[in-house]
Amino acid sequence: MQPSPTKHHPGKAEKQEARTAKLLLIPAFMGLIFLTYLPLIAVFGISLFQWRVPGTPSFAGFDNYRFLFTEDFFFWTSIRVTLLYGFLSVAAGLVYSMIIALLLNRPIPGRAAFRTIFYMPFIIPAVATFLSWSLLYDGGGIINNIVVMFGGQRTHFLSNEQTIIPALAMVAVWTSGNLIVIKMAGLGNVPRTYLEAAEIDGANAWQRFWKITLPCMTPIIFYNMLMSLVTNMQIFVPSLLMAAGGGAGAGTVPESYLFMTFTMYRTGFINGLIGRASAISFIFFILVGIFTAILFITSKSWLFYEGGDPK
Amino acid sequence: MKKNAVHGIVKTFMLLVMILGLAACGTAAQPEPPAQPVDATVTQAQEQEPPAGGERVNITYAMWGDASEVEQVRQVIQQFESEQDWISVEVINIDRGDFEATLNTMAIAGNLPDTAIMAEPMVLNWAERGMLLPAGDMFAGFPEEPLEKLGFRWDGETVGYSVANELLLNFFNRDMFEAADVDVPPANVADAWSWDEFIDTARTMTLDTNGNNAHSPNFDPSNIVQYGVMFDPAIWMLEVWALANGGGWYDPADPFNVIIDQPAAVESLQMIADLHLVHNVSPQFGTNIAATIETYLLENAAMYINGQWSVGVWLGPAQFSDGLNYGVGVLPSMQRNITMATGGVNVAFSTSQHQEAAREWLAWYAQVENSWAMIESGIWMPIFPIWYHDEAYMRRWAENPNFPPFEEYRSAVINYALTNAVPTSWYWVNNTELFNDVLSTALAPVWSGHSTAEEAINGAIGALRAANRGN
Repeated sequence: MQPSPTKHHPGKAEKQEARTAKLLLIPAFMGLIFLTYLPLIAVFGISLFQWRVPGTPSFAGFDNYRFLFTEDFFFWTSIRVTLLYGFLSVAAGLVYSMIIALLLNRPIPGRAAFRTIFYMPFIIPAVATFLSWSLLYDGGGIINNIVVMFGGQRTHFLSNEQTIIPALAMVAVWTSGNLIVIKMAGLGNVPRTYLEAAEIDGANAWQRFWKITLPCMTPIIFYNMLMSLVTNMQIFVPSLLMAAGGGAGAGTVPESYLFMTFTMYRTGFINGLIGRASAISFIFFILVGIFTAILFITSKSWLFYEGGDPK
Repeated sequence: MKKNAVHGIVKTFMLLVMILGLAACGTAAQPEPPAQPVDATVTQAQEQEPPAGGERVNITYAMWGDASEVEQVRQVIQQFESEQDWISVEVINIDRGDFEATLNTMAIAGNLPDTAIMAEPMVLNWAERGMLLPAGDMFAGFPEEPLEKLGFRWDGETVGYSVANELLLNFFNRDMFEAADVDVPPANVADAWSWDEFIDTARTMTLDTNGNNAHSPNFDPSNIVQYGVMFDPAIWMLEVWALANGGGWYDPADPFNVIIDQPAAVESLQMIADLHLVHNVSPQFGTNIAATIETYLLENAAMYINGQWSVGVWLGPAQFSDGLNYGVGVLPSMQRNITMATGGVNVAFSTSQHQEAAREWLAWYAQVENSWAMIESGIWMPIFPIWYHDEAYMRRWAENPNFPPFEEYRSAVINYALTNAVPTSWYWVNNTELFNDVLSTALAPVWSGHSTAEEAINGAIGALRAANRGN
């Protein structure tokens, strides 16, 4: 029988510290309430109205949701391409960043320089990144020239439905320098004693990676996966550039560019259908929430904490 | 009362969300005009006539443009302010990419400017909701009314005139045609190429890396270095081909009757797609997103179909900076010789507290001498008839080093504008932006050859009809 814990009576100094802490937390809570929770509630509220700017809103119940799920030309495609791009870019980004982090974790000359080189794409503005890659992917661009050199056919990578999402995922992979840096930090924390013990026991490099490094890295991988999923599902810039901003100058926007954030922006901000755009954003929020929850639930079966599950 | 309270709460929440959204999208902060009720009507702001006591009224004008354009407008405003003593105008400059979003946000916040230039697809939606002041009698005190075709009409009332009379034209690189010893595109509409002649010339002008043109049996379509023709990627411009082929996108007798699924319109879309897919004379439609017309005309294309504004925005300056030797011709015909006219619209909002001042400013600004910098550069074409009928006026405007040779321009642009230009559908059809959004996605597989125009249009016709009705 365990002894019952004695009740802790905080001292004066401790109480004052707690009061200060609460006081200092007020701005953060205000931010959370006014910049996150209230807008979220507002978005849901507005999604229940038919509202086309500059007109006035009229209550419509769940009609915006009904329209999106049953009649809208873009909605299902938008969900499909967002998920496809999200999964592809996250999976490829995780593998790529792990490989590069492992390579950079070796004692190679110029390691710091390589680390900077691989990190740099992450800090380049998204518009510049996409425009540069669009030149590489162009019909007369370097990628097509290489393809032709090896006997292939020129492809409009950013215009053909079959290639758009893989091509954009490739850009996401290229910009995943942040994942590399985080993974390198994670690799530095894998206990040397485990690796040395395994080496003495005759484990080869692959076995050491698979049985020790990878399990020890799972909390980092989990974090990377979560952040990448949320970030990549919000992809926006390529669609905006492809549509030339929408409105009068709108160009061809193939299905593969109809990402949910873009559809939401165009519907609400360009076309002024505020109620419907709010419904799209709320569904997007739910969707991201569902995938985050799935990730958390499934992580219990593969996440390894060296110091035990923190619960 | 309850309804008003609900609206108030929703507006407050929405304002918060929109501000956050705009901040996230990187919109520049705008000066804040005094708050106005969103649903104000013309009758709510009638007490703003020219003041008897000589008091000045301040109005705002929202526009897009780079620093030099804004400076030009400011100079015009100074001139305006020196010519009368009761109106001052303040410019609100909004980035073009954020213009629609910002204006929508200002409307929600009740902070609309008094006047603004507006992109064409927005106009009738705003007119339908009573947000625009009538413009039909705006030019009563001036020598001429604008060209009738440039008036946007809703419910029988003119709600705004285009600031410019822009046309779709066939620009070409004269040096490329001379090098190939091929006749340049005709400037006279009576000599306009048939579609077959157009394709034939485009084939001659399309060259692969070995210098073979698209007529040659040795032509290599996977290694083209010069295309015969290219098109601006904007979807709305494709309507001209449906009209040229004897059809249209909307029934002229009923703007709510979509006829893009009829054979003439469908065939015209397929004919554009086939320029790439069958004839190899044009890149896939819509793929040129990262460069401008002068880049292509200088290096990659013999002809480029685009709007007249290209003279001022790209081609005129490229003559001096890059030695571009360009010319202009009329569009090729299918069943009819036709082009489309369009132009952004200056509107006065019904929420303005100074409606007469707003209308007076716009009418004054529309006079050619007050927007001369835009016209002289070639970005705008005049909107008043005398500039198309009187040779002295024409020469004053178009005998200009930025422009192609005067006789060519007069025939291919000025005369063409009078005889063969019809207004783009957004002058009389609402919700064209929703329609064009659906169309732009529906047609993507047509351009890449993964479906025919008939399949694409049949698959999207329900959504196109819904979009036409505002859904």
